[in-house]
Amino acid sequence: MDKKEDLKVKSGGKPKIIDNSCGCLIDEFIIENSPNERLCSVQEADFEVFIDPDVEKVSNQFYMKKETDGLPIIPPTQSRVNKFLKYTDLKPDEVIAILPPKRGTATVEKIAINSVMAGCLPTFMPVIQHTIKAVSHEKFNLPAINATTHPIAICTILNGPISHEIGINSNMGCLGPGNIANATIGRALRLCMINIAGAVPGIGDHATMGSPAKYSYCFGEAEDESPWESLHVDRGSNANESTITVIAAEAPHNVNDHRSKTAEDILDTIIHTAAVAGCNNSHVPGEILIIMGPEHAKTVYEDGWGKYDVKRYIHENTSVPVKLGDRGGRKMDKESITGGEVKLTRKPEDVVLVVAGGPGRHSMVAHGFGKSSESVTMPLKLEDGISLFTLEDLKK
Amino acid sequence: MNIKIKEREVLNPLAEKDAIKIKLNPLPQKKRVIALLDNTKPNADLILHTIQENLKSSKFVHIKKPAGDSATSEQIKQATKADLVILALGDCGSCTTWLILDALKLEKKGTPTISVCSHVFSPFARELAESYGANSLRIMEIEHPLAGQSEESVKTKTQNIINQMNKILD
Repeated sequence: MDKKEDLKVKSGGKPKIIDNSCGCLIDEFIIENSPNERLCSVQEADFEVFIDPDVEKVSNQFYMKKETDGLPIIPPTQSRVNKFLKYTDLKPDEVIAILPPKRGTATVEKIAINSVMAGCLPTFMPVIQHTIKAVSHEKFNLPAINATTHPIAICTILNGPISHEIGINSNMGCLGPGNIANATIGRALRLCMINIAGAVPGIGDHATMGSPAKYSYCFGEAEDESPWESLHVDRGSNANESTITVIAAEAPHNVNDHRSKTAEDILDTIIHTAAVAGCNNSHVPGEILIIMGPEHAKTVYEDGWGKYDVKRYIHENTSVPVKLGDRGGRKMDKESITGGEVKLTRKPEDVVLVVAGGPGRHSMVAHGFGKSSESVTMPLKLEDGISLFTLEDLKK
Repeated sequence: MNIKIKEREVLNPLAEKDAIKIKLNPLPQKKRVIALLDNTKPNADLILHTIQENLKSSKFVHIKKPAGDSATSEQIKQATKADLVILALGDCGSCTTWLILDALKLEKKGTPTISVCSHVFSPFARELAESYGANSLRIMEIEHPLAGQSEESVKTKTQNIINQMNKILD
């Protein structure tokens, strides 16, 4: 029986819908003198053309539901999300972490959706996925970081070859605008905190004022400019491995020193910028992030200082009077007090020292969350535990 | 020919909640030992001392835990020896978080708790408890602010919740 006859038999001489999907058969189209004037008698249209949603409309819809950081978003369509899913070896429904305070399930797909919204490129997916895993580490204390009245942000530092592959900025303006990786990886992390963790400002995030650093806070270490071993090597990785480090940090404070010619003088300027009352380190000493500009680092290094010497000097000399330091929310432990002073760090290793930035004689100091949060460095790895040396490994 | 233009759908960025349930413990008939768990927030000690003065109990144990961070396992272990634990103070985001999470640790170990949170942070405390499957966790609201206030003011605010606490405990 040919197709024309088949159609007539089933429809009793009058073409009707047999197909169980849209109801439209190609036979209807090819039958001569078909009683249907339209190609399909069920669908209200013969052809459907799909277009991307209007960015302004979707941004406003998401904003009204408190699902953004206030800035416009890229609409997270399935096709866009699929591009991100090509840069992970995990399944979309695989759970990376359970994030507080809402105990939201951070699946690969949800991370990808929020990364699309942030304006990320698909190649950033492995970095963001590992960043989410890293902040969920118990010692990072995400329950407190997300909910606190303190303006603490989450700073992500990239090391290794993948940071170059995705084009992260570690040089001039690395903490400012102008680079898509720096601008959107931190933003993706923030959107994940809002939409997955439930750290919605005023609901799950209780920051008294918050901080501009909560929009995006991500940069790479300028490993080629550093005279010392880089952060990830410091923490046990090989130089050719790629890592992400998350550290709870305030927005950075500049250290302008154009005149010092010795290591000690530069470090003293850094120390006097760091030694302030009113930060968490002043009553519960913990980690502090020092982002040293390459020109400062060169002077310090050429004066014969190793990286640990720098960390030890900053640790030993950055202190505030107890009377001023012990005004924070959590009572200072007595063992933090030495001779009426409190050091802002517990040990030299608490000084998290990286080199980044471009030409100019500036460095940066970012106080931490005190002893209530420890930074986490995590190598980028595939599911089977093999290091992800290049994004090409994901295509194998 | 009829051509329809459709917008592509957008995916939902919100996560599913990881549903868990924590069984809460009834208040004991006999409250021979009450542990007062002080997270060292300003005036938490004063609130707990004022509560102690107004409650009838044979024995009180004072334990300190860090604000904004988990109690140590030793501090939790010490607290579980009591018949009831009263925790103070939740008056900011991180300290409220860890006050509630520590209360939940105690409840999971079979020790009933009452958490004292300022009225500004009590809604968040309840939402957090709900996220962890403990919808009826006992949370008492004390008037915000408590930090930077005079001793008299803090005592007055504490007195205001003691009647309610007595009712719960009786």
